[in-house]
Amino acid sequence: MIMLLPYAVAALVLSVIAGGLLSGVDRIVTARLQSRQGPPVLQPFYDVFKLFGKTHSVVNPWQVFCSFVYVTASALALLLFFMRGDLLLLFFILTIGAVFQVVGALTVNSPFSQVGAQRELLQMLTYEPILILVFIALSMKSGSFLIADIYRLEEPLLPSMPLVYVALGYALTIKLRKSPFDISASHHAHQEIVRGVLNDYSGPQLALLEIGHWLDVVLLLGICSLFWSTGVVGMIVLLAATYFVELVIDNVCARLTWQWMLLRGLCAGVILCVINLFLLYAV
Amino acid sequence: MNRLEKLQQWFNKRINEGRLKSPWIVHFDCGSCNGCDIETLACLTPVYDVERFGIINVGNPKHADVLLVTGTVNSRNRHVLKNIYDQMPEPKAVIAIGACGMTGGVFRECYNVLGGVDQVIPVDVYVPGCPAKPEAIIDGVVTALERIKVKLGLIEDPALSSGEAAAALEPVSSFTQTAPEKGVESEAAALTGESSAARSSAFDAPASDLSAAGATSAKETAAQGDATAENPAGETSAAAFEQEPAAQSETAGGTTPPAGKAQEHDGKTV
Amino acid sequence: MQQNDENRTPRTVIPFGPQHPVLPEPLHLKLVVEDETVVEAVPALGYVHRGLEGLSSIRDFNQMVFVVERVCGICSCIHAVTYCHCLEKMMNIEVPERAKFLRVIWGELHRAHSHLLWLGLFADSFGFESLFMAFWKVRERIMDINEATAGNRVIVSVNVVGGVRRDLTPQQCRWISNELNIAEGEIRALMSTMLNDYTVRERTVGKGVLSAETALKLGAVGPTLRGSGVAQDARQLGYDAFPSLDFEPVTAPDGDSYSRAKVRFLETLQSLELVRQAISRMPQGELAAKVRGNPEGEVTDRTEQPRGEVFYYVKGDGTKYLPRVRIRTPTFSNIMPLLAMLPGCQLADVPVIALSIDPCISCTER
Repeated sequence: MIMLLPYAVAALVLSVIAGGLLSGVDRIVTARLQSRQGPPVLQPFYDVFKLFGKTHSVVNPWQVFCSFVYVTASALALLLFFMRGDLLLLFFILTIGAVFQVVGALTVNSPFSQVGAQRELLQMLTYEPILILVFIALSMKSGSFLIADIYRLEEPLLPSMPLVYVALGYALTIKLRKSPFDISASHHAHQEIVRGVLNDYSGPQLALLEIGHWLDVVLLLGICSLFWSTGVVGMIVLLAATYFVELVIDNVCARLTWQWMLLRGLCAGVILCVINLFLLYAV
Repeated sequence: MNRLEKLQQWFNKRINEGRLKSPWIVHFDCGSCNGCDIETLACLTPVYDVERFGIINVGNPKHADVLLVTGTVNSRNRHVLKNIYDQMPEPKAVIAIGACGMTGGVFRECYNVLGGVDQVIPVDVYVPGCPAKPEAIIDGVVTALERIKVKLGLIEDPALSSGEAAAALEPVSSFTQTAPEKGVESEAAALTGESSAARSSAFDAPASDLSAAGATSAKETAAQGDATAENPAGETSAAAFEQEPAAQSETAGGTTPPAGKAQEHDGKTV
Repeated sequence: MQQNDENRTPRTVIPFGPQHPVLPEPLHLKLVVEDETVVEAVPALGYVHRGLEGLSSIRDFNQMVFVVERVCGICSCIHAVTYCHCLEKMMNIEVPERAKFLRVIWGELHRAHSHLLWLGLFADSFGFESLFMAFWKVRERIMDINEATAGNRVIVSVNVVGGVRRDLTPQQCRWISNELNIAEGEIRALMSTMLNDYTVRERTVGKGVLSAETALKLGAVGPTLRGSGVAQDARQLGYDAFPSLDFEPVTAPDGDSYSRAKVRFLETLQSLELVRQAISRMPQGELAAKVRGNPEGEVTDRTEQPRGEVFYYVKGDGTKYLPRVRIRTPTFSNIMPLLAMLPGCQLADVPVIALSIDPCISCTER
């Protein structure tokens, strides 16, 4: 596993660029679906560089610390993914990063930031059990929690675990901040808590959070790619189709409330995973 | 060290490029009749689509670079306007949209109207119209980007290249002499290291020279500015707010920025 | 956070506005919430007050038409129409038939564009950004009609005391009818999304319920009242060309935000139909009657704006300056029902409910 370290570091650097380009393509496709033209594909990079050039205007120093922890945790989780490490360890590192983003928002006394932080915790409460169940399903098929073991399989996992993939789609929608689950901090639409958990971050800290978000997106798409680990072409097709479906769902749904997400989103995800595993192993 | 310097230069170049290609806006309706606001929102929608220029309407002043203000200023909403302006991190620009944002428009003689947006905060670009068309607003944002280029020292100030154009470009009526130039001046100095004395020599023009006001970033008419200057309520409030003695408003511009204003600006760049 | 009682949940005060991306206007609501449930809403107004009614003492009664148009940029034409009605009553001016029809045409176009604007903002408030873009794209057709016939997209300035200033050629009339047919097709295509989509219904049905008795008691007007099932519309009074057009008020029974949205959606289609009818039934004739003398006396008038019934009181004293112009706009009446709807709702529903009365704060505060 350690042998893969130089390859993993290179992949991490490429992931930052790939994440930015993916975010740009996201905005262009969304704009075209709304009969607009959309920004140039390099736009997210311009945004991030501009944010680095702003003067600091933090409310307290904890925000700086928390944004660094978030981006470091996202990077470490992605590094672990490229080194084909343990899925559970990856999950915990990802959680630490997300929690620190919330902590940074909680240190600010503004009500929008507080409400946004609490909603982000509710979102974590929704997608984390689903992710754990997905990892359990993957490990039951491959024999261990190591990603390296998944790559040793000869058949792709998607045909036998389609419902688990749909449940992963719920978690992906929440993490990507897409409607109907863009409840704590929406990407483009306006909401009653302004920018929610991202409200009081600004300038370079916001740039770091944006880069961390790109890394998260790449990581989650990586987890999706484990469902077709046998061929590169199949992997790319699967990822492209998944992302396009996410964008379409974003554009045909309004934003729902956290009560809906917690009750029905979480239950739906858990039930789908359980049914699939039941059909695989108990029948 | 040469490699480090090159890296730093590359980084700075990218930052400047980002500032020009990604101006995020926050839109504040400061006492407007809604005409200019719906035209501003129309800019985000399919037919006009300002996202092509990288413009996103973030509602949060902490994330924004450009403040779009419509409407007249009264004694109640000017605190809100100042608050929003102060929350925005540097570098930033302010665009006053519509006749009301510029001078108070149709309502400038109403008892509750103090005047246009430049009563409270320094304005970089004025977009005329009642209401201003979306094309004019997009033009205003593009002009603001040109002003930012000048502030960053990327291009020559087109005003400095010819004498009369210089006088026409900077709004130098006694009504607003303190706010705009001083804001532009101190920011430009901070960012590019130019001496403020050299630039301000262009501002020593009396108000009567404002005959050719062709650029979109100039005020509509100098007569407007003179007429409103006679408004005692407006002048007193402007003077009281900007902490200027009324006598200084006679000398249009002045070579040194008033100490209070410059310090105010420096304080904000923390 | 304030602790009120030992056994009560701690309350937070969340300030909503005056600068907020969801609200296009500076309305300040202090929301007292307990755990994301709104307990109380305390409004603070006054950010847009310009005092333009006072301008009637320095602008003569003809110039006041243009001031009154700018009370609100969205319902501007109908403000001007109501003001002109008042002066025509005071000075006993008979407005020509063609002018009445032209006023109805531009007025109903304003109503259509206002409702489409509102539908877009409403969709944006519950996070459905693509629907917002779609509605505003359709609205651009009506803006083009305004610009082609009157010169300005939003504030058309076609009304004068005694009639209108501009005419429509037969070619323009044919073109307008054509454009409206296309626009109607596009709006109907959005109908199933706006009215039947699961996520939209989830966010709007049952939110901000206003019963018919409460609505009448608190003085609600316009779609806020008609969404509770009460069929009251000032166009039933038969001013301008409405007696010659087929008009029935649109209502919806439930009194929640969904009903109000449905009323406005159907009224948009109705307005397009009214414009087409007015174009086909418009007689030839003069554009404006001559205005002689100065206004004297006291007169009131009511018309239906997109947001509800607007009420004008104008007093003249024989000079060309009016001593008093008093405007009671529909949002002024709808704010009390809003404050009655908010307690008990969730924080996420506040923009949906606040927008469902179609607040126009610049109208309210003039």
